[in-house]
Amino acid sequence: VILAVAEWVDPVVHRLLEDGLTATLRIAAISLVTSTLIGVTLGTLMTIRFWLSRSLIRLYVEVWRGLPIIVTLFIVYFGAPAISLRFEMGPFTAGAVTLTLWGSAQIAEATRGAVQSITRGQHEAAAALGFGWIGRHVWVILPQAARRLLPPLVSLLIGIILNTTLIGIIGGAEMLETAKRMVEVVNAPPPTGFGDRGEFQIYAFVMVVFFLICFPLTRLSAWLERRLVRA
Amino acid sequence: MLAVTYDLASFLEENWEALLQGLGRTLKVSAIAITGSLVIGVLLGAARAHRLPVVSPLAAVYVEVIRNTPILVQIFFLYYGLGQFEVTRMDVFTVAWLSVMVWGGAFNTENFRAGFEAVPYSLREAGLALGFTPLKNFVNVTLPVGFRVALPSTINTFIAVLKNTALLYVIAYEELTTTAFNIQALTLETLEAWTVLGVVYLALVWGLSALIRLLESHLALPEAT
Repeated sequence: VILAVAEWVDPVVHRLLEDGLTATLRIAAISLVTSTLIGVTLGTLMTIRFWLSRSLIRLYVEVWRGLPIIVTLFIVYFGAPAISLRFEMGPFTAGAVTLTLWGSAQIAEATRGAVQSITRGQHEAAAALGFGWIGRHVWVILPQAARRLLPPLVSLLIGIILNTTLIGIIGGAEMLETAKRMVEVVNAPPPTGFGDRGEFQIYAFVMVVFFLICFPLTRLSAWLERRLVRA
Repeated sequence: MLAVTYDLASFLEENWEALLQGLGRTLKVSAIAITGSLVIGVLLGAARAHRLPVVSPLAAVYVEVIRNTPILVQIFFLYYGLGQFEVTRMDVFTVAWLSVMVWGGAFNTENFRAGFEAVPYSLREAGLALGFTPLKNFVNVTLPVGFRVALPSTINTFIAVLKNTALLYVIAYEELTTTAFNIQALTLETLEAWTVLGVVYLALVWGLSALIRLLESHLALPEAT
């Protein structure tokens, strides 16, 4: 038996994968890079025993980890421009900023732990070789801490990919928002639409696509974790 | 030029009733979902830990599907996707608690699986030697010990469930976030609305996190200290 495929399936799948998925992956990649850069920097700075910098970074971490991401998104997208119009930005920029605030908070906490797990001897040896504070961390401590950071970084990537769907709430055409628009097209009466029902199939398809991307990453993260424990 | 006036006091004075009602709905949905996800977590976690045929592999699929797809898509699927058919159509409130409960249940299944698997085999063996049936052994030995092991990560999941209720904005369920959003859309008191939202969520999340640290020290297993 050959399954009858509705005529809208082909164009909808193309739009979802070519426009929606591309936007999702692009924004996820950007957010991953900025989260890592800011998170590793803040996390390393948090290991300095100076109460002011410590408590400020701690506050940053607890606020952006504590808020529901949708609330952060509203603050960034609607709240910031109310303070000054200079902060007005498009949905994708607002989404990347939001995911970076959340992601960098996660990575800062993980980095702090990873850096503190490196023994004092490594710091002292690097200092004896003439490295300053920055050189010591960039060339000696962080490369060793990186091993420990790998599993949380993969988890972060998964979290970021899943949370890019929030950008659809403020109108950015990522995967979910594209799906929403496709549902409208399929459900609209001809000639504008197809006069069919497509919610079930389209949202199920979106779930399958996310699963196919995130499931291997979850396995990778678990494998990295196991290797780390064994080592 | 935007005229920026920030008046939190008058914002609260005018909207406290609506905001309180929204907070009430947030807590109500969270309470239902947390209770449900706890039951799901204990039952399926036990099935996973004891490798119960049929149930265990099905629970594994459930856990992986929920953990590897965005909860926002899950909410859309439950509300709009299943809403396509007469028999599976649900109202907003049902989808509200069901979606966050199903999500939390998957994470709790993992938490309790790990907790039950951490119970030393010698303890279970001792229980069996005392003549407990496998079920009684689970209730009297594995559950009390494994529950304590799983508790901190379970409370973390509860906190995540509470935060996820904010996403119910997308199906217009009038919990705290939707309420605050609707007020500021009407009055343009954007900053005041987000201030209230931020403060309330941080108070709830930080409060619960403090509770974990308290519980952790009280419930730490003797051999772990």
